[in-house]
Amino acid sequence: MRRTMAVFCAGVLTLGTGCATGGQTETKQADTSAPATISFWSTGGDDETAIFQKAADLYKQSHPNVTVKVQTLAWDDAYAKLLAAATSRSGPDVISGGMTWTIQFGIRGAMVDLRKHGIDTLKAQALPAQWESAIAPDGTVYGVPLDMSTHALYYRTDLFEKAGIKSPPTTWEELTGTIEALKKAGVKKAFSQDWGNLDWIGYFNYLYQAGGSFYTDDCKPSLDTPQAEQALKFWVDLYRQHGAPTATVEGGDALDTGTAMVSAGSWIAKGLDIDRPKLKDKWAMVPLPAGPAGAKTFVGGRAIGVTAFSKYVAQSAEFVKFLYTDQAVQVMVKEASGRNLPFISARADKIGQSTFTPEQSAVFEASIRSGVAAPGCPGWDESAPDVSKQLQSVILGKADAKTALTEAAKIMEKNAG
Amino acid sequence: MGTHTAQPQRARLRRYATSYAMLLPFLALFLAFLVWPLANSLFLSFTDFDGITPARLTGLENFGNLLFEDDRFRHALGNTFIYVLASVVIGTLLSLGLALAFSGSSWPHRIMRTIFFLPSVTSSIALMLMWKWIFFPSDVGLANTVVGWLGGSTVQWLATPSLTIPILVLMSVWGGMGYGMVLYVAGLNTIPGEYYEAARIDGATAWQQFRSITLPLLRPVTTYVVVTGLIGAFQIFEAVYIVFRGTNSVGGVLDSGLMIVPYLYDQGFTHFQLGYASAIAWVLFAIIFVISMINLRLGRAMKEL
Repeated sequence: MRRTMAVFCAGVLTLGTGCATGGQTETKQADTSAPATISFWSTGGDDETAIFQKAADLYKQSHPNVTVKVQTLAWDDAYAKLLAAATSRSGPDVISGGMTWTIQFGIRGAMVDLRKHGIDTLKAQALPAQWESAIAPDGTVYGVPLDMSTHALYYRTDLFEKAGIKSPPTTWEELTGTIEALKKAGVKKAFSQDWGNLDWIGYFNYLYQAGGSFYTDDCKPSLDTPQAEQALKFWVDLYRQHGAPTATVEGGDALDTGTAMVSAGSWIAKGLDIDRPKLKDKWAMVPLPAGPAGAKTFVGGRAIGVTAFSKYVAQSAEFVKFLYTDQAVQVMVKEASGRNLPFISARADKIGQSTFTPEQSAVFEASIRSGVAAPGCPGWDESAPDVSKQLQSVILGKADAKTALTEAAKIMEKNAG
Repeated sequence: MGTHTAQPQRARLRRYATSYAMLLPFLALFLAFLVWPLANSLFLSFTDFDGITPARLTGLENFGNLLFEDDRFRHALGNTFIYVLASVVIGTLLSLGLALAFSGSSWPHRIMRTIFFLPSVTSSIALMLMWKWIFFPSDVGLANTVVGWLGGSTVQWLATPSLTIPILVLMSVWGGMGYGMVLYVAGLNTIPGEYYEAARIDGATAWQQFRSITLPLLRPVTTYVVVTGLIGAFQIFEAVYIVFRGTNSVGGVLDSGLMIVPYLYDQGFTHFQLGYASAIAWVLFAIIFVISMINLRLGRAMKEL
C-alpha cells in the first residue's frame, strides 16, 4: 500500500513537472509590412469599447494593413481573464485596465517595455502625476495612461436652499460645518462617500490635502507622520461624528435618495440627469474641499499596454501612440459624447475637451491639475488591501489612528522588499 | 506458470474488449479534465508559480507559510469553521423540520415542498444578487425598508463585520434547506408505517416515536445531508465574492467574510500567487477529507451502538 502511494505521488509530481508550466518563449514577430489583425481587450463596458473601436477604425484609414478589433472585458473578471491569457501566452495584443495592471503583468514578463518602441515620447503629452503612476518603479514603460477620472463633491442644490446654505464647502472646516447645518435643518442624510468609501482611495484625498503621502519621493513608506494622522482623524470623524455611512451607496443613488452631499467619481456626472430625471436642475458639483495643505484630489484612470506574447508588437505600439494624436482624441470624445459617456482623454492639454458640460469640465480640470495619482512604488499593490483594513479598523473603532498607521507603514515596508 | 495466468487474462480482455473500448472516451475525458489538472495543481503547490514566469520548486515552503505564518489564512480558516458549523447544523435541523412538516402527499404539502426547493434549482448568482439587493445600504434595500416600517434606523448590513457571518449563514440555510428537506422526505417515506403502529400500541408518545424510530432510521440520510452540506459549506465562494467583496479586498470589511476559497481566489487571481493558491486548495481538500471521514466513522459507530 505504502509502495503504491509512493509510486502514485511520484507519478503525479512527474506528470505535473512535465505539464505544469512550459516557461516563456519569445513570440516570433510577424512581418511589419504584412496585414495584421490586432486584438485589443478593453476593460470597461460595451459603450467604452465602441469609443476605442472608433479610434481603431480611424487608425485603419491611415494603416490599411492593420485591423484593430476591440473586445470588452468586464471589470469584475478582467484581471482573472488577463492572467489566464498571460499564462497561456495567447489572446490579446493590446490590453487596458486599472492604472497599475500593466505594471503588475509587465514585471512578470507579460508586457512589452514600450520604450523600445519610442512610446516614452508620449510622456510630454500626459499628465505628469498620472504618467508616474502608470510606469514601473524602475522606469520601464509597460503601459501608458489611456483616460482619466477623478473625484468631485456633488451636492443637492434644493436641499442646500432648504437649509439656507448659500454655497458648497471649499475647506475641511466648511465641509463639517455644512454637514452639521444640513442635519440641523432636518436633512437626514447629509454626506456620503462613493468611490473609495472605507478604502485607501477615500483616505488618499484627505492624506494629500493634509500634506501627507503614502511614500516619500524615494519610495519609503511615510504613513507614520502627523499629517497622515491628522488626515485619518478627520476622515474617521466624517463617519463617526458626522454620520457618513460605512456601507457604500452609488453616488447617483445616494443623491436620488436624499443625500445632500456625495464625494464620488467623475463618471457619475454624465448620466445623472438622464438616469435620474427627478434630479434635473437639483444638483451641482465642485472640487473636493481643500485641506490644510491645499486642494489635492486622486486622479485615476486606465492604462494601456502591449502584451509580450503578441505577434504584432510594433504595430500594436504604433496604435497605442496613435491614441494620443489630436484626431484620435477628437474621434473618441465625439463618439463618447454621442453615447452620453464620461470620457476624459489622457492628454493633459485636452482635459477641458471632455464629454462633460463646460462647467463640469472646469471642475474636473481644476481637480486633475492639482491631482495626485496612486503610488507607483514597489509593493504598493500588495499592500493596498492591508492598508485599507488598517484604515477600516480605525473607522470601526477597533484601533486608534496612530497604531493603525504605524501598522500600515510596517506592512508597506515589508512589501517594499 | 506465466503462460497459465496470462491465458485467462487474454481471454478476459478479448471478451470485454468492446466494453473497455466504450469506456475509453470517458477515460480520456477523466484523465484530461480531472487527473491532469489535479496533477498540475499538486505540483504547483510545491512551487512559486505566478501564472506567467516559469515555476520554481520551493518544496514545502507554501504549506509552511500557510500553516505557520499566514495570519490571513488563519483568519479565513476560523471564519470558515464558524460558518460551516452554523450553516450545517441549522440547515440540517431546518431541513428535517420541513420534511416532518411537509412529508405528506397532499397538494398543500407538495406545493410547500416545491416552494422550499425552488432556491436549489435557481442560479446561485441570481440568488446572491437578490440578497445583495435585500441588504442594500440606505433605505432602498428591502431589509432596511422593513426596519424602517418597524421604526428602526438604517442598518449598514454589509459593512458591519459582526453581521457578515450571520448573513452568510442565513443565505446558505435559506438556499439549501429545500434540498435537504427533499432528501429527508425520501428517507421518511422508506420507514415502514408498522413501526409507528407498533410503537403507538405500546403507548409511545410522538416524541418517543421520533427519537426511537424516525431519527435512527434517518441516520443514513442525515450522514449524507451533513457530509454534502459540509463539503458545500467549506467551498463557499459566490456569496462572499458577489455580496461582500469590496474595492480592494475579497473578504469584505475587515475581512469579516473571508473564507478559504475566496482567499484562494484572491491569492491566485489578484496576487499572482498560483502556487500558493494551489497549496490552499490542497489544504482545503485535506480538511474536508478528514472531517468527512470522521463524520462517516461517527455515523458507523453510532449505528453499532
